[in-house]
Amino acid sequence: MQGKIIVISSGKGGVGKTTATASIGAALAMEGKKVVVVDMDIGLRNLDVVMGLENRIVFNIVDVARTKCKVRQAAIKSRRIENLFLIPASQSDNKDALTPQDMIRISKTLRNEFDFILMDCPAGIERGFENAVAAADEAVVVCTPEVSSIRDADRVIGLLYAKEIPSKLLVNRIVPTMVKRGEMLSHEDVVDVLSIDLVGLVEADDQVVVSTNSGIPIVMQDDSKAGQAFKRIALRLNGQPELPIEVPGVSKSFWKKIGSKIGFGK
Amino acid sequence: MLNGLMKKFFNKSGSKETAKKRLQFALVYDRLEVSEDTLTDMQNEIVAVISRYFVIDREKLKLDITRRNDLSALVFNTPIISAKARRRMA
Repeated sequence: MQGKIIVISSGKGGVGKTTATASIGAALAMEGKKVVVVDMDIGLRNLDVVMGLENRIVFNIVDVARTKCKVRQAAIKSRRIENLFLIPASQSDNKDALTPQDMIRISKTLRNEFDFILMDCPAGIERGFENAVAAADEAVVVCTPEVSSIRDADRVIGLLYAKEIPSKLLVNRIVPTMVKRGEMLSHEDVVDVLSIDLVGLVEADDQVVVSTNSGIPIVMQDDSKAGQAFKRIALRLNGQPELPIEVPGVSKSFWKKIGSKIGFGK
Repeated sequence: MLNGLMKKFFNKSGSKETAKKRLQFALVYDRLEVSEDTLTDMQNEIVAVISRYFVIDREKLKLDITRRNDLSALVFNTPIISAKARRRMA
């Protein structure tokens, strides 16, 4: 069976794309899927440190494109999670080192070897973005509940739409107390503004910083709200799109009812 | 004190309503690639025309651009409070 390519994108930088890629990738692998996460941020690689694999790098995605190595040689195996692999970005090249055609070619091999291929898209909508989305089947657009991030997300959603890549929204770093006070856009507001379906809602969680510090995936911590949210997102991407969206920070029984209604409606 | 003042200006709803309104307008400009002046003028003219026939709730006006099937649709949404007496018809 051919693997599915999902690009994690946002437009704006610093909204949590890399964390989302690492977390969703780890969660999918924990579900028993064979997963590779690909760092498409050529020149500014970070997915390797977030995953705690920075000192194992031998080859990178540019080497694969230049046929200096095979996909299998460039894919680093996770120490902690079975079936999870990382293809790092090159740190010494710039975005022009890859072309969308390269990515389409490489993707053929990736689809044959993995169930899920997650592309960690760089910020911006230039070449790096074009490369990351070149072979994508689906997209997850990450935004935070802030005007700048939402505006950029809208731009990216438009570009993905023009390329006929179906996209869903991940709202990251929600602060429930601020939403309650009316000082932060709620996920309903964001969805209303962007007119796009949700794939999940992730609460702002200090554990993410701790997890990044140590390079241990947040989804391995059962007490992390963000980790649990990413796990549920992975389930939705892995054949359970109807799984109800949980809204951070409100009493569960009540929202479970609402959530299942939303889930039922779709 | 400043906080209190801000609250007074953006009363009851908190700053997120301001954020949402600003965003909705910014996105309309982004999607249409037209200037703010053009859209404001257009909105004012539409409001003027509708107001001739209906009493509308100007606070709840909503201008939105939706993309569907390669088309952009301009959606102008306004609650109608009541119809105006049609004096001109006579």
